[in-house]
Amino acid sequence: MVFTLGALLVFGAIVIGMAAYGYRVSAKTAEDYMLGGRTIGVVVMFFFVLFAISSAWTFYGFPGLLYTEGPGYVAFIWGSVLGFAVLYMLLGPRLWAISRINRYLSPVEVLAERYESKGLRLVLSVSILAFVVPYIGIQPLGVGAGFQALTGLPAIYGAIYTVVLLMAIVMLGGMRIVAWVNIFLGSVYVTALLGSLIAVVVTVFPGGLPEAAARVAEVSPESLSNPGPLGNYTPVLFAGTFVVGLLAFSWPHVVIGTMTARDKTLFKWFPLLIFVFGGLFFYIIPFVWGSLIAPAIIPPSELAAMAAEAGVSVQEEADRVVQTIIQRVLPEWFGVFVLMGVVAAAVSTAAVQLMTSSVIVARDIVQGIVKPDASDKEVASFARWSVAIIVILSLGFSIWNQGAMALYLTDVSVPGFAQWAPALVGGLFWKRATKQGAIAATSAGVIYLVLGLLITVDGSRVLLLDLHPVIPTILVNIIVFVVVSLLTPRSSEAVISQYFDEPDEYLKAEV
Amino acid sequence: MKEMMGHLPGKLFLSALGISVIAFIAVSFSGFLEEGNLFFGWMTPPLVIGIVFVVFWLICYMIYFFFFWPYR
Repeated sequence: MVFTLGALLVFGAIVIGMAAYGYRVSAKTAEDYMLGGRTIGVVVMFFFVLFAISSAWTFYGFPGLLYTEGPGYVAFIWGSVLGFAVLYMLLGPRLWAISRINRYLSPVEVLAERYESKGLRLVLSVSILAFVVPYIGIQPLGVGAGFQALTGLPAIYGAIYTVVLLMAIVMLGGMRIVAWVNIFLGSVYVTALLGSLIAVVVTVFPGGLPEAAARVAEVSPESLSNPGPLGNYTPVLFAGTFVVGLLAFSWPHVVIGTMTARDKTLFKWFPLLIFVFGGLFFYIIPFVWGSLIAPAIIPPSELAAMAAEAGVSVQEEADRVVQTIIQRVLPEWFGVFVLMGVVAAAVSTAAVQLMTSSVIVARDIVQGIVKPDASDKEVASFARWSVAIIVILSLGFSIWNQGAMALYLTDVSVPGFAQWAPALVGGLFWKRATKQGAIAATSAGVIYLVLGLLITVDGSRVLLLDLHPVIPTILVNIIVFVVVSLLTPRSSEAVISQYFDEPDEYLKAEV
Repeated sequence: MKEMMGHLPGKLFLSALGISVIAFIAVSFSGFLEEGNLFFGWMTPPLVIGIVFVVFWLICYMIYFFFFWPYR
């Protein structure tokens, strides 16, 4: 216990030290605080984005759902890999150029000015915050559960520890230090995730992964192919999960990353890292954990008995199956190291989401709507202090509404993030897109999603036609966007030139 | 994306990405993923199919962005 707490204190001190250093060297301007002064290079950007999207979910939720549902859930990863690459290959250069030419600080601001609408700014800000903020709170709670399992102390101590780190990074450091700290956190995270996997395989399966697969084939053969142990991953769900993953290009906390780029060459190199490091290496580690190693060591029947004994659902028990195996198989010090990896995963994601949320609150709601005459210094200050409010709100929501981690991400957050995608893509590439279309579509999509999730009949989401929430809602969103845009007056010629001609010339000229 | 629509290599690149998405969905319905085959003794069909597509996207991206992208 003393070793565990000591290690966590040292880890926390390093993170806070980096944040304090960031505060000392930062320029104290809103642009520096919110977008790292637009100086993020390709390597830092890669760690920044990869570990912004790889949260405690990658350690707990993703392997947990692979364990219960079989390997089909990996379709979400394949879709996401392409989705993130699409963001940087197709949308990123234009978004970067527009925001750089016009000194825009948030992606919501880019769209509000494109559509010349404060109403849209409010609609987008509120809808994005509504889906980002709850997800932030899940991270400290996830760490708290791991902390409790390892130390026996109440989970709230682990959650408070995580919140302190989060607030220090975001309030002191801003976007640049969030990106830099993600390199440190990401290194700890990858080492813990891969190191624990190798250690477990070497200890339990001397024959390597084929031996583990052979063991799964004996105890749970249905875990090795679609439709999986529960029979859920039919071709329709597999393809649908892939499409849901593709929408990762619209995750607000990832989109804002494109605006921090130092130059346009980043967009040439970044997809290489996403495909090679992300698609062919990193995400295969939790896949092997959840679909092979976990069922080989703890067969589904044993996990069901453990869940019944603990009084939790099988999915919740599966969400912590990786940690259970590490504690069962590896020495205690390894558990501490892995918990640091989980803290790193949680903090790296939540810090970027928190940073994005604070930018939207300060730049779009406070300066954009409530106090347009706010100075640069005031905006940066608003952003810093909004962090505390967002953390409290997100923790409160997460404690009130605890559930299975993987399902919250794919069933609530991802469909919610996707609702601004038509306005985003249309605003950048479709001259005929109008503010009325964007407002109506985003509002319709969000309202449909919320009602669809809340109204159930015998556990069935009847309004969503029992499809994945993102499918019907994004279809309605797109239809409303196109129809209303075609029926309403075009945007002004000045805006069209600003968003379609100037970025082209800038991208051609910029070296 | 606008710059890609302005020349043939860009159109081919976007077409390759679009067709690959359709192909991925088509493979989902092919029955391949329901077979219990293991590649190299441990790789399940949903993993294999994903790796194949990622490698395809990687090759397409490298050819286009390193040789044809107007802003390279």
